[in-house]
Amino acid sequence: MAEIACERYKDMAATGIADPVLQRALINLQHRFGRGTAEAYRNLPEGPELRFQAKAIRQHAIDHLDLLLERLADKIEARGGHVFFAEDAEAAVTYCQKVADRRGVKRIVKGKSMVTEEIGLNPALMADGIEVTETDLGEYIVQLAGDHPSHIIAPAIHKTRKEIGRLFADKLGIPYTEDPPTLTRAARKALREKFMAADMGITGCNLACAQTGHITTLSNEGNIRMAATLPKTHIAVMGMERVAARLSDHAILFRLLAMGAAAQQMAGYVSYIGGPAGPDSLDGPEEFHLVILDNGRSRILADPEFREMLQCIRCAACLNVCPVYGEIGGHAYGYPYSGPVGAVVTPLLVGVNRAKDLCQGETLCGACRDACPVAIDIPRMLLALRAKLAVGDDRWNVAPAGPAERAVYRIWSRLIGNRRAYDLCLRAAGAGGRLLAGKDGMLGRLPGPLSGWTRSRNLPSPAAKSFMQRWKEMEGEGGSNHD
Amino acid sequence: MTDPRRTSFLKRVRSALGNPLRDESAISAAFADPRPAATAALAKRMRERPPEERAALLVRLSEAAEPLNIQLVQVPDETAAVEAIARIVANSLPEWGGEKRAAAWDHPLISALNLQDALADLGVPVFVTRPAPDVDRGRVRRAVADAFVGVTSAEWCVAATATLAARNPPGAPRSVSLVPSIHVAVIRAEQVVADFQELYALLNAEMDEEGRGLTDAMTFITGPSKTADIEATLVHGAHGPRELHLIVIHG
Amino acid sequence: MTPNQPHATLFIQCLVDGFYPEVAEAMVKVLRRLGVRLDCPTDQTCCGQPAFNSGYRGEARKAAKRFIALFENSAAIVCPSGSCATMVRRHYPELFESDGPWLERALRVADKTYELSQYLVDVLGVTDVGARFCGRITFHDSCHPLRYLGVREQPRRLIRAVAGAELVEMVDSDRCCGFGGAFSVKYPDISTAMVEYKAQRIIEAGVDAVVGCDMGCLMNIGGYLSRMGADVKVMHLAQLLAETGEG
Repeated sequence: MAEIACERYKDMAATGIADPVLQRALINLQHRFGRGTAEAYRNLPEGPELRFQAKAIRQHAIDHLDLLLERLADKIEARGGHVFFAEDAEAAVTYCQKVADRRGVKRIVKGKSMVTEEIGLNPALMADGIEVTETDLGEYIVQLAGDHPSHIIAPAIHKTRKEIGRLFADKLGIPYTEDPPTLTRAARKALREKFMAADMGITGCNLACAQTGHITTLSNEGNIRMAATLPKTHIAVMGMERVAARLSDHAILFRLLAMGAAAQQMAGYVSYIGGPAGPDSLDGPEEFHLVILDNGRSRILADPEFREMLQCIRCAACLNVCPVYGEIGGHAYGYPYSGPVGAVVTPLLVGVNRAKDLCQGETLCGACRDACPVAIDIPRMLLALRAKLAVGDDRWNVAPAGPAERAVYRIWSRLIGNRRAYDLCLRAAGAGGRLLAGKDGMLGRLPGPLSGWTRSRNLPSPAAKSFMQRWKEMEGEGGSNHD
Repeated sequence: MTDPRRTSFLKRVRSALGNPLRDESAISAAFADPRPAATAALAKRMRERPPEERAALLVRLSEAAEPLNIQLVQVPDETAAVEAIARIVANSLPEWGGEKRAAAWDHPLISALNLQDALADLGVPVFVTRPAPDVDRGRVRRAVADAFVGVTSAEWCVAATATLAARNPPGAPRSVSLVPSIHVAVIRAEQVVADFQELYALLNAEMDEEGRGLTDAMTFITGPSKTADIEATLVHGAHGPRELHLIVIHG
Repeated sequence: MTPNQPHATLFIQCLVDGFYPEVAEAMVKVLRRLGVRLDCPTDQTCCGQPAFNSGYRGEARKAAKRFIALFENSAAIVCPSGSCATMVRRHYPELFESDGPWLERALRVADKTYELSQYLVDVLGVTDVGARFCGRITFHDSCHPLRYLGVREQPRRLIRAVAGAELVEMVDSDRCCGFGGAFSVKYPDISTAMVEYKAQRIIEAGVDAVVGCDMGCLMNIGGYLSRMGADVKVMHLAQLLAETGEG
């Protein structure tokens, strides 16, 4: 399993906010990709409804998932591929270790894959003495620096060209430069040697096709193609939901995926892989393994409130518009899945209570829903998670909020049920507020839970007379109700 | 025979779905074309495409190719295509040093160009990926890695996105469009289709009509290799080819 | 009283009722100027949104029932808060998903609840309300009316029709200001970073006033600008539309 640090959300968020370099990088990224994606949707020849057609395609796949996985596995096995159904992270990792061991693997090249981060595959293989090289440029940078990715599609977004220049000078022994083309070329050269020497390639899978029995990988760099083509063994790891029923479903989904991920019309490379190289093929791996991972997904599938989340194709469009992600960055989420998708998926995978800050530390602004290529209603699911955190939930083993918080809402509920009591409270607050207010009528420093607000912002003091009172006075005693 | 892991995995998935009925009709519904009428209409439109519409597709292709940094060359015939390839080979240097070498698919259109003779004049040997039983894949890999230019064709080219699509049967290995620094793809104008809906309709039709299915691998290529991982600056040639030349033969 | 005279019921966000009564008064002034007959159930308190957003659906349902009982006989329900209008229009029906009779009542109320600019432009068909204000104005899109009620053009059309006013778009006008109700108190660092970004974009726009359709956002933005000592007026759309340039 990946390291889980969701409990440190607030601290890590503060760290991200205090980092001016990160701040600039994030807003840059969001302006470029967030706006580009919106523009791409607006210009769709089929109109923006295409997103809802894509959503229906994803839902169809999820609703028939058992049939799809069976067909996918049968077809791949018929071509001589191996399919391993992994119930959890441990089973998946152990399987990969065994294959590597049996094949005498010493060097592995990896294509970027969130699901392998989720199961903690790299550390396990490295502990077996195998060299594991991440080959996506961003992932490679992050790995060389001993750091974690902070964005699903742009893993090294938190690093400047200066930092990367120093890193490459140090680790690759090249003269210091901060020129992106020169740095890219240095990585290209170093990684080309890795690709040629590797005896195993490990990739994820963007979206398999059940009908024909293929996995697919998408990339712009070509590294995933290298990892899936050159080494003698290829292992692809996929979350069990990442499959489409029909080949034609890809026509819509890949376009929207490219738009969501990088505001492109189409990813640079799409590869369909249906098994190992055929007997007279000139390239391709001798062995092909597909690992299909559950690891908590069937639990999400079983809950109608969250099943929609399995439509996600991990394009990161939601990260590119989220105003909270835009301030705090990906590390704050404490798990490979960050941003709005992480705020829903992570609690469901690692435990709702321990990841409570992820689903509560969002404003429900809804930008993610509009950016999602398959129109996933993330705010709806954040609200559902909050409901579980408030009152507890047996199915997800969620402990309810503490008695103090529950008491606050109970009292609030009584108060708003009785206008007279409510008025008394308003007046008391008004009197207190005027006592504390400055000359401008603003409150500058408040104690207790409101101190977080007043640390950076003023707060108006309650009015001497509520509007309801004023209305009654304007309209004569008793006020005007329906006439 | 059946893998118990697979059985229990799929059982869990089915139970999460509420154990729906899985009879023959449910299975065929899961894979059926959701909009058969639209698919049929699309196939008809492609078959009956008039010449002026074909010309418009090429305009669309060149508009899509430009921002992607695809070098699009339109030529009247095979001879001109060979000349275009020779120019690319003559005017570029091997990225990793050493002698100039090329690799090319064993493919009817590419073989017709007779590149081995044409490039021999420039002193550039061409490795042709001819399938053979018990082929030494290590040797093929070295030969492709030694080539600085890889010449392939494609089955289709999508005008809307300038995407090349090709299945990879034995004579058309995927590494030729990937490992060399320069990728040259040669197609005929008739292979250009409008958009992804058309591409997938053709793929489906081939599956249905020939029962051939996809080969083990199929690759779509849209532009040269690129990355924006360093401060979101676009750089070409991350791992795959730095350049992509698309040669379209008319007539 | 003409029989065709429009009739609306005031649904006053609790924040406006208790902290910003002048916003509600401005709204009354504008609506009356347009000949709308008004009533106001003075027993109203809160629509339940704070509880709903924090996951307390039982308490939110109780508030919703109370609201529905108070408002269901109205012809049209008009609210100066896009967020509260969203609560009623969108979340009330969700709250009663499995309670047939209440669902029906919730849907009836939801269908006739409008955010102020929506009511003026979409229902009354008015854009020029006879207001006058001299200065440059920028508009902050509150998230819920924008993304759940489709309120984007309505307030802008109203602002453009104000005599003497010039509408200047700020960068990222539709980016959340970081209020989020309890979020702003529970996660003050993140909330502050967000409102700081928003305040900078407002100041960059070089305007005399920032206008919005929800006092939650405006309290947040105004609180930050006031702490900064920035010389930008923070106004609810109703206040802008009530301005006649006299006095």
